[in-house]
Amino acid sequence: MDALKQYFMTAPVDPAIFAQSLWLIIALPLLGAFVCGVFGKMLGRGNVNLIACATVAGSFVLSVVAFWCVNHAPPGTTPVAMESAFSTSAIRYAIGYDYGTWFSAGTFRVNFGLMVDHLSGTLLLVITGVGFLIHLYSTSYMEHDESYWRYFAYLNLFVAAMLTLVMADNLVLLFVGWEGVGMASYLLIGFWYSDTAKAWAGRKAFVTNRIGDFAFLIASFLIVLLVGAFNSQANTGNFAAAAGNAETAQVRYREGLQMKGPLAFQGLEVMANALPSAEGTQAAVSLATPIKEGPLEGRTFGGVLTVALLLFLLGAAGKSAQFPLYVWLPDAMAGPTPVSALIHAATMVTAGVYLFSRMSYLLVMSPTAMITVAIIGAITSLLAALIAFAQDDIKKVLAYSTVSQLGIMFMGVGVGVFWAAVLHLVTHAFFKACLFLGAGSVMHGNADETDIKKLGGLRHEMKWTWGTFLVSTLAITGIVPLSGFFSKDAIFHGVHANYLHGYETATHVLYYVGLVIAACTAFYMSRVYLLTFEGKRSPEAKIPHAHESVWQMTLPLVVLAVLSVVALVYALPLMPGRNGMQPVMENFLGPVFASAERIAARGGLVKLDHTLPTLGSYLVAWVVAVSGGAAAAFMYMKFFPSRVGQPAPAFARSVRRFTQNKFYVDEAYEFLVIRPVKNVSAILFKLVDSLLIDTVAVRGTAWVTTRLGSALRYVQTGDAQAYAAVMALALLGGAVYALIQVLQ
Amino acid sequence: MVPISYYLILAAALFCMGMFGVLVRRNALVVFMCVELMLNAANLTFLAFAKASGDVSGHVSAFFVIAVAAAEASIGLAIVIAVFRSRGTINIEEIRTMKH
Repeated sequence: MDALKQYFMTAPVDPAIFAQSLWLIIALPLLGAFVCGVFGKMLGRGNVNLIACATVAGSFVLSVVAFWCVNHAPPGTTPVAMESAFSTSAIRYAIGYDYGTWFSAGTFRVNFGLMVDHLSGTLLLVITGVGFLIHLYSTSYMEHDESYWRYFAYLNLFVAAMLTLVMADNLVLLFVGWEGVGMASYLLIGFWYSDTAKAWAGRKAFVTNRIGDFAFLIASFLIVLLVGAFNSQANTGNFAAAAGNAETAQVRYREGLQMKGPLAFQGLEVMANALPSAEGTQAAVSLATPIKEGPLEGRTFGGVLTVALLLFLLGAAGKSAQFPLYVWLPDAMAGPTPVSALIHAATMVTAGVYLFSRMSYLLVMSPTAMITVAIIGAITSLLAALIAFAQDDIKKVLAYSTVSQLGIMFMGVGVGVFWAAVLHLVTHAFFKACLFLGAGSVMHGNADETDIKKLGGLRHEMKWTWGTFLVSTLAITGIVPLSGFFSKDAIFHGVHANYLHGYETATHVLYYVGLVIAACTAFYMSRVYLLTFEGKRSPEAKIPHAHESVWQMTLPLVVLAVLSVVALVYALPLMPGRNGMQPVMENFLGPVFASAERIAARGGLVKLDHTLPTLGSYLVAWVVAVSGGAAAAFMYMKFFPSRVGQPAPAFARSVRRFTQNKFYVDEAYEFLVIRPVKNVSAILFKLVDSLLIDTVAVRGTAWVTTRLGSALRYVQTGDAQAYAAVMALALLGGAVYALIQVLQ
Repeated sequence: MVPISYYLILAAALFCMGMFGVLVRRNALVVFMCVELMLNAANLTFLAFAKASGDVSGHVSAFFVIAVAAAEASIGLAIVIAVFRSRGTINIEEIRTMKH
């Protein structure tokens, strides 16, 4: 056992050397995208499939090595650490490389720096691993499609952008990936652009995302100003709070700012550490200190930080499909199913969770922002879960379920159980990707039927799909030996136990909301499973017998199903940590969230809890999940089949119609936002465009010139007498003028 | 003695008649004659003012004007003849060469 452990702790390559090759992880899929996009049509189907899969597989191998390097700590040596440009202490369990200045303007500078630590390493493995499986699945799923090469180019592009997002060591580079995944998802959702509805879905996703991205940008600018203000106001007292030797640390911080710019995560972490939350220390700057100069003059550091974080939340809400910007995700199901699995389950929509985990040290300084994140998560989650109750489209149910699960992750992030949120991100990536791919397999085998009421009884016809779908359904429901149970309940336990100053009641309520969400999840997921796979085949089915998909599709399903079971090793075994025994994942992500822990402990506004869930709370969670599932089983196996032919009561029908129409949220947006904007634009169009610009400005100029020209035409007749007449008139004018002068 | 204003009114009337002719007549020769009329109106004012001020410079100016008018008339007649040769008409409305 020790030998094995030692093997895994000794990287095959020297981490310092491998760090220089980190760019290859991004470059490989990018190259794949280029080759597939430009030469794809000439290369033929087999080659495109090979290139697309091979580049992602290559990225996966490199990610494994990178991950391995991050964990490099053979006995007797120190664990891998990289120098921090911003402070005297090193960054532990991280490798990174700075490829130099990307751009700079004045004192503002952005470097092209990549960094892999335990958080981004975990996500790297998920992105490239799940990404590879989805590429493999796509080779079969898209085999009847004409423009398969375009599809694979987009898919590779998406992976490259997502890897940039995760590996970036500053906010600007992260934003590049953030925008990149947005664009790739737009291209992929609208992949079948000849179908107007699908193209519109892509556009909706794009526009909704842009709203969030705008907030993200403003938040980034606020952070730049904040760092500038901190840099001019902080003294050694501040840096005494952050690092051992205060003066050296201060010098290093300023050097780091010049070298790496204000938006590098390392710098933000140092700043967060140096911002004590209370007065009374020797520090010149605390959260309550007003900013002395610049555009933010008079605002306090804590206030600006809270605003920036709330804007980041709006940005994350756009990308991660949270309330109020979640409306694009269900529509996005118009895209190819593997895309739904890759983008809407495993990677892009979790970017918001990643962002907040990455900036956990900023988040814990503002309980207001934290509780807002948590409440938004809870609202989204509950709303989406309730909508999912009545959806009949198998992919739409999964989409709402994704929105709901993301809400749970946001709850976790919001109350400070970052490790559990990340764990749920990982396990959710496994089982939700498996569910989406399973849904794709079901559609593939049933002539693209997506209505679960017209399926049924697939259990015997599609054995592999059935088995894997069952496993992942149980995982998302939270049945005991599967990973979803542990990740979800770690979050709910954290919600229950963590302490946010001033919001004690809110977190308490959130816990019970969480239990309701868990029951809802169990109910609607069981409903989908039962209607699709159990019972008899629906008489309305398109084809009498479904067929099982080929190995390229079932293999990823099996791998993902296995992963969603074995992922529990991240949560279950306990390891000795700083705060007593803790689950593997918490221990593992410890270095990443160490700053957040320290700041929370120092400030006293937020208290992060490290107790383990008791058997009692596990039991409660389990009973909730099982009862949700059992209710669904009773309703759809016994209750409804026995009532076939009897009309449902009016009340039930109206509730169903209400939920089926997604609580009319889209209509509300239409009424509250889109319609007013359209009307104002119509007025602007009529008044400004048609009248002022077209009529007065454009046609007016032409009219004046024409009139003037036709009037001046008489000046140039070539007729000597006309010229003489002009002269005579001038003479007359002169005479009259002279006469007036004389008479006066 | 006749007051100077009578001469001036007569000169103005002559000038106006000449100008009217220049503006409305179509025949180039008549136009020339009208120009002569205008020049003579100017001469009349010169002479009237010269007589009133008892000075000979007005008379000298009148001679110059007559000389220039004679020269102009000879050149003008030459042009009119050349135009008549090439176009067969001396109707001013049809000779719009100044346009080009």
